[in-house]
Amino acid sequence: MGAAPPFIRFGDPVVRVRRGRRRGPKRPAPGYGKESRTAGRAVPRSSGVPRGEHKKARFEHHQGNVKTATNAAAVPFTLGPVRKWLDEVGRAALMAWAILRILPKPRRYVAAAIQHGYVIGIRSLPLVLVMAGLGGAVTSQQTGAQFTGSLPMWVIGSVAAASVITELGPLLTAIVLIGRVGASIAAELATMRVTEQIDALQAMGRDPVAHLIVPRVVAGALVTPPLVIIANAMALVTALVVGVLVVDGLTVADFVYGMRFYFRPFSLIFSAIKGFFFGLAITYLACYIGINGRGGAEGVGRTTTAAVVATTLALMIVDVVLVPLLKMW
Amino acid sequence: MIEFRNLHKSFGREEVLRGVDLVVHEGETLALLGPSGTGKSVLLKHAIGLLEPDEGDVVVDGVSISKATPEELRRVRQRVGYVFQNAALFDSLTVFENLRLALEGEEERRPLNELREEAKELLARVNLDADVLDMYPSELSGGMRKRVGVARAIASRPRYLLYDEPTTGLDPVNAQNIDSLIMELREQLGVTGIVVTHDLESAFQVADRVALLHEGRVRASGTPEEILASEDPIVARFVRRGRIQPAVPV
Repeated sequence: MGAAPPFIRFGDPVVRVRRGRRRGPKRPAPGYGKESRTAGRAVPRSSGVPRGEHKKARFEHHQGNVKTATNAAAVPFTLGPVRKWLDEVGRAALMAWAILRILPKPRRYVAAAIQHGYVIGIRSLPLVLVMAGLGGAVTSQQTGAQFTGSLPMWVIGSVAAASVITELGPLLTAIVLIGRVGASIAAELATMRVTEQIDALQAMGRDPVAHLIVPRVVAGALVTPPLVIIANAMALVTALVVGVLVVDGLTVADFVYGMRFYFRPFSLIFSAIKGFFFGLAITYLACYIGINGRGGAEGVGRTTTAAVVATTLALMIVDVVLVPLLKMW
Repeated sequence: MIEFRNLHKSFGREEVLRGVDLVVHEGETLALLGPSGTGKSVLLKHAIGLLEPDEGDVVVDGVSISKATPEELRRVRQRVGYVFQNAALFDSLTVFENLRLALEGEEERRPLNELREEAKELLARVNLDADVLDMYPSELSGGMRKRVGVARAIASRPRYLLYDEPTTGLDPVNAQNIDSLIMELREQLGVTGIVVTHDLESAFQVADRVALLHEGRVRASGTPEEILASEDPIVARFVRRGRIQPAVPV
């Protein structure tokens, strides 16, 4: 097998190019670009050479008779961003493949995953509870304000349960995790990259994917569903308490009846499934963006911002994609 | 033996290495000199596959780094110790945990006591007390961090030691200590070394052979005496600028 190790491919600088190809221009392409307007012109237009000679020179250039480069400048402007995007997608896919190859070897990441699970789960719990509690309180008040006088009071319980379990619980948990965990992972890995700590890991023959990425991604994917369930419970409790206290005519019995009327076991499973994918998306993207960070302190800042923006966007996309799943049941 | 064969490397449009040919023989210490930005560190990173060349190859003990499988590359890396410019210690881990990463295999679990004893021995080898074992890198001075970096690099008992700017950022006393350490390690462990530096005093002190990198190519290579006596204007200019003679009172 002659291929370079995939586990170092994804994390290496973006400027990495395929082996055996030169990137920088060695000689200017005759008759093309900036170089052609300089003394480097192979066939100067002012030399009185017939136009056909220029064409011949270009043809030879394309045939490889003149050694040249395939650099970014040679790519048409419109293809540049597309190529860059495809490059990113390819590298992200390589990282996913590298993670999948390590998953069957739990000895390499379980201990670290438990540590990260503690950070992601237990340390995020207070903020998740506060956010979920506030979310539940807002939901019951808003629903009460909208429905009082037009629909039976128990509907407030149904609407609160539906919105909390299917949407608010997972989403609020994920937002907390983006801020607390995603940003932290991206900043930590970017700092490790710019201070050569990841290079040091590779230099010792260690696999950065097994050491740094898999534990975080596994912890994120496994810890988020229980967090979401706890957030759901907290949000429903505050929705009930605030609803009964604030909404005129709403009783505990009404609210609980409405909740039970709506509730299907799958909605809870769906909520946990959402949590799983949200946790996976947040940690995976934060790791990918973080480990590809570059530059100094400013670069780390940029990387962290990029990670927060990308994970927020990904979260909403995952949310939209998962809705049809609920409809299937 | 480490061979750099016609090595080219560009970053974007900037061509850093333009065909480096260099051989580092068994047992010698080669100092790689050159002004900042000439690709000395880039060249060193190619030796263990941290960077991939655009063209050319690096061969370590007959293994082509560009064509090596992940397993071959891992084995090469275990034979090579790399001392990073700023030590590159894992700042979330203590000194012991940093050394432990280098002492233990990827899936290997060894008794903690045994590992601590080995870590203490490594620290003693780089003239550090065992007290620093439970300290974090942020609690150490620059010179101590470099020493821990060296200890981590020699933990796997490498045949080759690559030093990237080992004395940069250190005061003259600490720089001298690091130079002495490099020479001690060569004598005690018999390792082959490449020292990337722009500190001429350091280079001429520790190296058997000196190579000067200029504009992405090896401009000159020879013993320190040969380099000092070189009539090549670029070599002479670099060497003279770096070795400022004290002013003689008239």
